[in-house]
Amino acid sequence: MKILIIEDEKELAGNIAAYLSDENYLCEFAETFQQAIEKVGAYNYDCILLDLMLPGGDGLRILETLKKENKQDGVIIISAKDSLQDKIAGLQIGADDYLAKPFHLSELAARIYSVIRRKQFGNSNIIRLNELQIDLLAKTVHINQEPVLLTKKEFDLLLLFIGNKNRVLSKSALAEHLSGDIADMLDNHDFVYAHIKNMKKKLVDAGYQNYLKTIYGTGYKWEA
Amino acid sequence: MSKLLNKPLKAFAIYALLVLACSIPVYYLIVDYIWRNELDEYNQIVRRRIETGLNKLNLNETDWNKTITLWNQTQPGTTIARSPADKPLPDSTYTVMRQDPMHTTEDLERFRGLSAYILIKGKPYHLNVEINVEEAHETVFAIAAVTFVFFIILLAGFVLLNRNIASKIWKPFHSTLDRLKSFDLNSHKNIDLEKSEIEEFEQLNEVLRQLIEKNISVFRQQKEFTENASHELQTPLAVLKSKIDLLMQNETLTEEQSELIASLNLPISRVSRINKNLLLLAKIENQQFAEDEKIDMSELLQQNLEFLEEHLVARNNTVETEIHSDISIRANKSLVEIMLVNLLLNAIRHNPVDGLIKIELTNSRLIISNTGEVALNPQTLFKRFIASSTSTPSSGLGLAIVHEIGNRYGWKVSYTFQEGFHQFSVQF
Repeated sequence: MKILIIEDEKELAGNIAAYLSDENYLCEFAETFQQAIEKVGAYNYDCILLDLMLPGGDGLRILETLKKENKQDGVIIISAKDSLQDKIAGLQIGADDYLAKPFHLSELAARIYSVIRRKQFGNSNIIRLNELQIDLLAKTVHINQEPVLLTKKEFDLLLLFIGNKNRVLSKSALAEHLSGDIADMLDNHDFVYAHIKNMKKKLVDAGYQNYLKTIYGTGYKWEA
Repeated sequence: MSKLLNKPLKAFAIYALLVLACSIPVYYLIVDYIWRNELDEYNQIVRRRIETGLNKLNLNETDWNKTITLWNQTQPGTTIARSPADKPLPDSTYTVMRQDPMHTTEDLERFRGLSAYILIKGKPYHLNVEINVEEAHETVFAIAAVTFVFFIILLAGFVLLNRNIASKIWKPFHSTLDRLKSFDLNSHKNIDLEKSEIEEFEQLNEVLRQLIEKNISVFRQQKEFTENASHELQTPLAVLKSKIDLLMQNETLTEEQSELIASLNLPISRVSRINKNLLLLAKIENQQFAEDEKIDMSELLQQNLEFLEEHLVARNNTVETEIHSDISIRANKSLVEIMLVNLLLNAIRHNPVDGLIKIELTNSRLIISNTGEVALNPQTLFKRFIASSTSTPSSGLGLAIVHEIGNRYGWKVSYTFQEGFHQFSVQF
């Protein structure tokens, strides 16, 4: 899987690449508008991470170029601008997702995973993982062909874990994934425990082996 | 407040009234003078005619006396009598008020008379000729009436001209005013002021153009500054956050180290939140949320309440709601949602475990209350960065944002402490 990280902040680009490296992803970098245009024109990527404020130009122009050339690369905008207008503008031009900085790497990884799956599998987007079967479009989960009824939040959590296998996910990352923008206004993230406890119980009851490990004091890890 | 053009109109009207009023006695004096002169001349003509006519008669003494008597009876206004003096005396004129013998009315009439001495066949006679003159008060009345009519015509003319001038000459001014009224700094569009032929208006337009241009430029700079500052802060935060995520993957970490690292996430989130909130406040103040739409408040409140439900459950809070359905308002949806979430979270965060939260939404107001012990200071509660409690961390901006959003739409946001409840209300 090839990923292009268009980001002028080298440190951040490096961290993203380091986090993704274990996952069979091959990351390339572009730090300026010019570099980005060249790489995008010359190669195809499974997913492009696009910062909007770049030295040399507006990131949205890169997105427009991609769409004009009818390229199928998935695009996730990662921007410090967190206004509805920018989000709408980005998605209208054809970005697949929009993530405001600062974000957790786990959140980004889950979204990359989801974008790539959508691009590759289109309408029959079913993830099979051992005895687990997840239909991304219908948002249903089956274990050994038996349906498991998860709430929306439990389903979202499961996807976050699937997109971050063998990674330690902090409670903070899980809380942000569940409550979005307001997570940092909540003083304790205990509600995360409740959702994970419920999800785990439902999965175990349906005959799933315990892949989800608790890392004391920190968070959780899906071992696969 | 009166219109600019009405001020001189009033002055003009008063001035015209004064001038016309002063003209009445002047006209009277002139008319009266001319009239008297003309009548005196006329009396002289009558006198000459009588003198010539009588001198032509050839009568004896008896017939002559009879003629004089008859004359005096049949010719009212003139009387002839033998002069007591031997020689003719100089003529004199006079004006007298008396009853008209020809009329039966008792009104006094004014007469202009000539007292002259004529020679008929060498003998001096006294001739008196009188003619009726219009009385002074009648003349004055006539002149005053005419003057008043002219004043009315003048006034009507002033008003009509004024209206005409107002609509024509002030047209560019009103056009400028209309465009200024519809001007929105937020749109970043310079306004196109209509060219005017009138120097003063063109000067005004020129000054306005410069002023607006400068304002737009300052506004843009300010907007760019807040956005750039936010960007500059969010990027290093993003680096920091990603470093923590990476560090957590390290398998050699002890439990204690892991806990320390995980605990870094909270302050980072808070810095990021403060940053976002400052940007939000700047945007609200700069009126960068322009698009208003009709919002179903009842539905929006229910949605947010459902979204936050688990946090209520976690703290074993009870919620009492009285939400009227189909309450709608016109505002920017993002802003209203931010306001609702801030108020709800505020109530949840500061509510004690097992506390009660009351939510009331009616046509005119929204009230969100939570259990509390001591009243907070309403003076500082909505100020920025003044924390009302030390028990929980916050950005210190949540209520300031609620207040600012209220200001934006003219809603009154207030706090009261009643019967053990902190009560925040928004009056629409």
